[in-house]
Amino acid sequence: MLQISDLAYRYPGSKQPSLDGVSLSVYRGQLVGLLGPNGAGKTTLISHLSGLLPLQKGTITVDDLPLAKARRADPTRIAIAPQEYAFYPVLTVDENLSCFASASGLSGRYKSKRVETSIAATQLASHRGVRAQHLSGGLKRRLNLAIALLPEPDFLLLDEPTVGVDPQSRAFLLSTIQQLAAAGMGVIYTSHYMEEIEALAQEVTIIDHGKVLIQGRLDALLNTDAAKTRVTLALANPPENAATILAAYGDVAVTGDGFDVLLRPEVLPTTLFSALSEAGISISHAQFGRQNLENLFMALTHRTLRD
Amino acid sequence: MFWALITKELQSLFRDTHGLAALFLMPMIFIIIMSLALKNIYDPPLDSLSYAVVRLDDGKLATELIDSWVEDHGDPVALPKHWRDEVMKGQLDYVIVIEKRFSEEIVAEKMGAEPCVRFFAKPQFETSIYNLNKVNLALILNQLRSTALVKTSRAKEFVPPNAPKPANTDVELAADGLLESERLSATARPTSVQQNVPAWLMFGMFFVAGSIANLFIQERDSGTLSRLTSLGVPAWCILWSKAVAYVMVNALQAASMLAIGVWLMPRIGGDSLSLAGIDWPAFVLVLGSISSAAVGLGLMVASLSQTHAQAAGVGPTLNILMGGVGGVMVPTFVMPEVMQKIAAYSPMNWGLNGMHAVMLNGQGLSGVMPFAGKLFAFGLGTIAVAMLFVKRR
Repeated sequence: MLQISDLAYRYPGSKQPSLDGVSLSVYRGQLVGLLGPNGAGKTTLISHLSGLLPLQKGTITVDDLPLAKARRADPTRIAIAPQEYAFYPVLTVDENLSCFASASGLSGRYKSKRVETSIAATQLASHRGVRAQHLSGGLKRRLNLAIALLPEPDFLLLDEPTVGVDPQSRAFLLSTIQQLAAAGMGVIYTSHYMEEIEALAQEVTIIDHGKVLIQGRLDALLNTDAAKTRVTLALANPPENAATILAAYGDVAVTGDGFDVLLRPEVLPTTLFSALSEAGISISHAQFGRQNLENLFMALTHRTLRD
Repeated sequence: MFWALITKELQSLFRDTHGLAALFLMPMIFIIIMSLALKNIYDPPLDSLSYAVVRLDDGKLATELIDSWVEDHGDPVALPKHWRDEVMKGQLDYVIVIEKRFSEEIVAEKMGAEPCVRFFAKPQFETSIYNLNKVNLALILNQLRSTALVKTSRAKEFVPPNAPKPANTDVELAADGLLESERLSATARPTSVQQNVPAWLMFGMFFVAGSIANLFIQERDSGTLSRLTSLGVPAWCILWSKAVAYVMVNALQAASMLAIGVWLMPRIGGDSLSLAGIDWPAFVLVLGSISSAAVGLGLMVASLSQTHAQAAGVGPTLNILMGGVGGVMVPTFVMPEVMQKIAAYSPMNWGLNGMHAVMLNGQGLSGVMPFAGKLFAFGLGTIAVAMLFVKRR
């Protein structure tokens, strides 16, 4: 298990900590979604796991072994597929894989086997002689992933692995990642695409300003208050007791030109609309939607992911 | 792992055609253009050159010759015992030899065929300075001869009345024929190419610094360096794999530039470069030390630069500055004293002196060791700085 406990980090000269008491755990075979707007602390967390930043406070263990010790024994147990195209553009797919396989300490038959396995897993076989700079965005993402898979890591950290790829490549990458987790690899997945996290992750952690805002099983998180259906209403002839009528169906907030109702889990928007109609109240404007991960994220951070 | 990284480095380098062209074409163009067209007019401080006089003639005219020379060129140093060796090694700039029969020859109506004043210069003596000294010496000789002949002619006018008048004879006034000049060299006869190739070869080798810095920053910006580090590749392995690859590039550069001097230059009307008689182990040592300094400088610039623009600006500028200060473009002796002191700390000056020592002064391992040692120390020092900054980042 990869266990991060109470991790805190402050860059030299910075007033605010980039990480402030972050805890997170990933089991083999588990797929954890890590969400946070830009500047939330994701990169700092990834840098710690890559061994690029020293620990200031907190612990990171791999199977109960401190990260530094685990990395000394085998630096490739945690592999990173960074957001950047971290390979050599003028080298071919094969040359890149060969170079990084050697850099991972692989050699001989095992190296050849791992190169073949990575190529097969990312379906790059027909592009192996192509220079990386000539690959499409989707193929570059696949190469980025293939390099991460070379040392057969126990844990894989994917930072925005589908940015800039076409829908087909995205579907392929997501399916590959699911297969890797199913095969026993622990995966931490960061993305701006909420639907990807919803489709893939069993566990979700949302961080902002270096702190964990919420974490837990995805289905449980979507049933929190922040995940309830929200109805925004503008009424044509609002009676004085409009707020009291609406309160029977959920939590009501009076906004500038209407009401914001957070429905109780058993109440459907149509139930509310029918009740208002029966009470002789006309609706001039209504907007509603079931809460998803994006709503939950925005409710917690008051920011969109791309902020 | 190490060899894989070296291979990767070379592959990356040889596929960057623009960078490669700059690495090879620029120094080649420099050598060709500078060797054929460098005819700078200097106004040098001639009195800063060290010289000695071998006086084999005790006559008054020999004294006059020396006095005239001292007037513009300063006092000579004491004549070393092995003055030829010292000139050959470049430790003495030149020696003037006044032969025994000088005072007779300079006033003789019919001068002998053998020169009686010889000017021996060190092999790396710049052509313009060499010619200027020759002309100065010839002028003094002409003046001495003219004056002496006029005196003789006046003396002849006072012939006793009964004595027969001397016959009219044609007298050559110019005394150029009495002067012989030569650059002493332990290796081949110093030519323009022989003098220029060492300087521009060394200068060209330093061009790898910019290339290293740019590729390094590209690697860092793309996250590839972080990826290598996360895979457990140590900083020393990353840096030294680059160093080895670029030392190989420097070796290729040196071979190609020497080939131009030896084979191409004579075909396009220039002098050919001769490598006959040079001490090869010393030559390889000097080239290796220059390469280590160039590679170390590139790695240091790369590790200190934050952006491509910084590296692209700093690398070449440093090269030009070090070349200028180090005596590649302007001989150090024509520089002001302060600049000459600064030049003594320029790696290019060490490289230039090392190349001259082995290619013109015929020095062996012990002769080039002071220069090579400084260059190796500079190379290791800069790599250590690079390592420190790479680890810190």
